Amino acid sequence: MRCASRAVWAWGLGALVCLGFAVGLRAPLTALMSLHMLVQIPLLVLAGVCAEQAWRACRPESEPDARPRPAWSFNEYGVPGLLLVSLVGAGWMVPKALDDALTDWRVAAFKYLGLPVCGWVLRASLRRSNVVIKLFFLGNFCWMSAIVGMIYLDQPIRLCNAYLQDDQDWSGRGLIALAIALPSCWLLAELKPVWRFLNR
Amino acid sequence: MRWILALAVALAAGLGALYGLTDGFTVLTAEAARRQDVARNPRPIPAVQVLYGDGRIQSLNQDLRRDGRIAIVNFFYTRCLSLCLVQGSLTERLQRAIVEHGLQDRIRLISISFDPRERPSDLSRYAVRMNADPAVWQFLSFAQPAQRDAALDLFGITVVPAPLGEFEHNAAFHIVTPDGRLARVLDLDDPGLALLAAKDEAERGLVPAGAVPGEPERRAGEGRT
Repeated sequence: MRCASRAVWAWGLGALVCLGFAVGLRAPLTALMSLHMLVQIPLLVLAGVCAEQAWRACRPESEPDARPRPAWSFNEYGVPGLLLVSLVGAGWMVPKALDDALTDWRVAAFKYLGLPVCGWVLRASLRRSNVVIKLFFLGNFCWMSAIVGMIYLDQPIRLCNAYLQDDQDWSGRGLIALAIALPSCWLLAELKPVWRFLNR
Repeated sequence: MRWILALAVALAAGLGALYGLTDGFTVLTAEAARRQDVARNPRPIPAVQVLYGDGRIQSLNQDLRRDGRIAIVNFFYTRCLSLCLVQGSLTERLQRAIVEHGLQDRIRLISISFDPRERPSDLSRYAVRMNADPAVWQFLSFAQPAQRDAALDLFGITVVPAPLGEFEHNAAFHIVTPDGRLARVLDLDDPGLALLAAKDEAERGLVPAGAVPGEPERRAGEGRT
């Protein structure tokens, strides 16, 4: 197989670095709730995203033509994939998930194996979806993250047995920041399609 | 219509994972899950040697069996400056309620320290500070680190070291029966409910595991008294 080698290497390396950091530094990264939730988990997802990019860079010419009309695929417009990723995202905002990831090997396995797979599904789905669908799922994720962040900040009691109260507040602030940063970045990255859609 | 199938699979997988994580959409925190699990399946306490304020060391299970009273157990450490003090004053109120209702021959209080630095004198001094009546309220600590970890694990107490040499830990009232079972876990905010649950347990005597009704029925019971 002939690959567009430089891109493959770059994305592959990115995936390995993300995975390496998330797994190699798991003790310090899970010591704080904020790092666990806002650094380690995103890194694992990012590893999947990069891996999908690398894989995609390997099959250069055939795909771009099929992109505008992905005739009846399993992942039509990426909706099933994005739905799955949204539900998984919701699951990792439940405080019990963070506690269980430290004590229950099944949840830990789901974290280290499932999240990269979710990242892969996310990238593959985003490729197939259009602006409206992306906006729907992104908006959905962001309000959820903001509300959960506010709940974390608002709680006078600890929600995670394994983490300190201060840290819970920082996670809450981080989630709210995420809810602002994510759509801002997306808007910057997709200014053109959004502009085109609005001026249709 | 393959994508509809895929959509259904994605929905089922996502909701299934959420269902499993939240014990069937009933709990959001590990603490709530612990309380629910104990209420459904009372847990036998492992063999553990405890240290008393007067310096003697004994098996906790033996103490429970010999004493014969239902114990309301909570966990603390004597150097604590925050949560344990609140817990301590709530427990003191509980002690007063036990004596007022004449329940001291059926129910008692035990506070167990998880701090390995604790000496017997720390415990006895703390007991004085808390106005504890030694006949109703005992202060213990774990004699052996390995047993301490096993016991905390069974009770579901997670101790996290915090700045300034403090610890943060989940606090609650634990109803423990004389035959050495952790039967219920009740919220710290409601000592009355803990007393009621202990009274229920005392009236029930030795019941087979699994026959303990769930939270809603107890809450209804609270209205009766």
